[in-house]
Amino acid sequence: MSTVVNFENLWCVFEHRSGQLVHALEDVNFSVDPGEFVCVVGRSGHGKTTLLRVLAGLQPPTAGAVKLGDTAVSGPGSDRAMVFQQDTVFPWLHVRENVEFGLRSNKVPEDERNEITDYWLSAVGLEDFADSWPRELSGGMRKRVALASAMAVGSDVVLMDEPFGSVDYFTRRNLHEVLLNLWFETKKTIFFVTHDIEEALILADRVILLAEGKLVDDIPVTLPRPRNEDVRATPEAVGVFKLILRHLGITEEEATRA
Amino acid sequence: MTTTDSDVLDVRAAAHRQKRRRQISYVLYLILGIVLSLLMWELVAAPFSPLFYLVPPPFDAFRHFGENLMFSERMLERYVHACPDLLDELEVTGRGMFDLPDHCFGYIRHLMRTTRNIMIAVTLGTVFGLTVGLSSLVFPRIADVVTPIAGFFGTTPIFIAAPFFVIWFGIEYPLMTTVGVVVFYTTLLMYFFSRRAADNIEVGIIESALTLGGDRRSIFRWVYLPGTIPEIAGGFRIALAGAWGLGTLVEVLGIQMGGGFLIRMWSFAMGVLEGPAAVVSLILFFGVLAVLVDGVLVLFIRFITRWSESGRRLGL
Repeated sequence: MSTVVNFENLWCVFEHRSGQLVHALEDVNFSVDPGEFVCVVGRSGHGKTTLLRVLAGLQPPTAGAVKLGDTAVSGPGSDRAMVFQQDTVFPWLHVRENVEFGLRSNKVPEDERNEITDYWLSAVGLEDFADSWPRELSGGMRKRVALASAMAVGSDVVLMDEPFGSVDYFTRRNLHEVLLNLWFETKKTIFFVTHDIEEALILADRVILLAEGKLVDDIPVTLPRPRNEDVRATPEAVGVFKLILRHLGITEEEATRA
Repeated sequence: MTTTDSDVLDVRAAAHRQKRRRQISYVLYLILGIVLSLLMWELVAAPFSPLFYLVPPPFDAFRHFGENLMFSERMLERYVHACPDLLDELEVTGRGMFDLPDHCFGYIRHLMRTTRNIMIAVTLGTVFGLTVGLSSLVFPRIADVVTPIAGFFGTTPIFIAAPFFVIWFGIEYPLMTTVGVVVFYTTLLMYFFSRRAADNIEVGIIESALTLGGDRRSIFRWVYLPGTIPEIAGGFRIALAGAWGLGTLVEVLGIQMGGGFLIRMWSFAMGVLEGPAAVVSLILFFGVLAVLVDGVLVLFIRFITRWSESGRRLGL
């Protein structure tokens, strides 16, 4: 069973070389129920990635805490596997060995490890590429390897930092489909950082909006799934879209131009 | 139109033919390069060349090498041999230098000794350098202690350190001197290469490993060790290439045996007809040996780094 994730009075302040203090996160408070798909949306440099890194245990908070259930996060661990924006697939390991890495590190016995690996390779459609080198795969396929690695490790919470930002539109749509299928199947809690509002509307149960390190809104997205173009054109979807734009301080003309 | 199995086979056959053509053209250009070099050499050694008295024609150098490899009349005339241990044994039974077997007076034993010393030294230096360098990835305190010291010695040019080794160990202990210099040089080089290789692994990859449950041991085994291989292999090639020159140089400086010693011995006879041929043939021997060893090394590196695009392209 998944655990609740709590962000309690979370602050993260960095000191710039000039001596100026940069408030990456300011008093962020919210909690996420098990199995929720949460998209964290905001402009670049407004604290999205920092929030995810604190949750991953890669960045200690300046004040406050992130708790998984009752336990405060104190470092990285396989209970919060993360898919990164950049390509972090190990190029020197075959696809299968990449997916196995977390399982090996967690001392999963070989038989069980093989079974889990086969399952996740098949789930992301890479069973025929198990013995390939990552260099032989396309960017989208490598993202699927990263996704399978994160899922296979068995964490309740999966963190994704703009994971599909570097792939083309069609690959991204395909990866959304793969991810949503995996989420429906596993009901893991997913934190998905993106600056793409449309992507958030396709994926999220909830959108957490960050601006200048502050949580400015927590918007439930109750659109029916699957969220195809028709659903995203409904007045409700357009309303959420405009609300997010307004919070981010972007006018509709600016959004149209972008 | 649909693609059939035979179409796919045609494409594969075409790709295979293309690869074969690339390999053949590589070999042809290699032969062309060698032929052009020999022609240039012939020109430089021709009677009208100002270097006529210093540079022997290629054939003279090859002939000198062939004639002196297993047994050298000139070495016997100079009472120069490469079997001191065997001579000691003979002297116990009342026999002398002229009872030594022929190969003791040939170049072969000198050249084998230099090759052996360099191989031992490079292996030892690589083991020392990598052990310290890779251990420092698991225990960062090691790097805190070693890096400043290695940095200090690393800034000392090896050609300044080499005579120091000759003076310290002396010419009486050629193995210690030659091996000492090359071990010193290789250890430093491999330490710095292993550190640099680890620094070049992207932080994102380490962080990803951490969030997948990787601990110190598994990250070392599955991330650092394979991830640093290409750069370490590159460092090893540089170390080995340098070691041939360095090991021979130390022998030239004063050791009484080895390929460097032969070069020094013949350099005193540069005015004599055979002197330049001898020196050039010996230099050429080490050059060819270094290229051949490097070639084998390239094939091996290509195999162990077949996961990387650059590793795949390395070599042919």
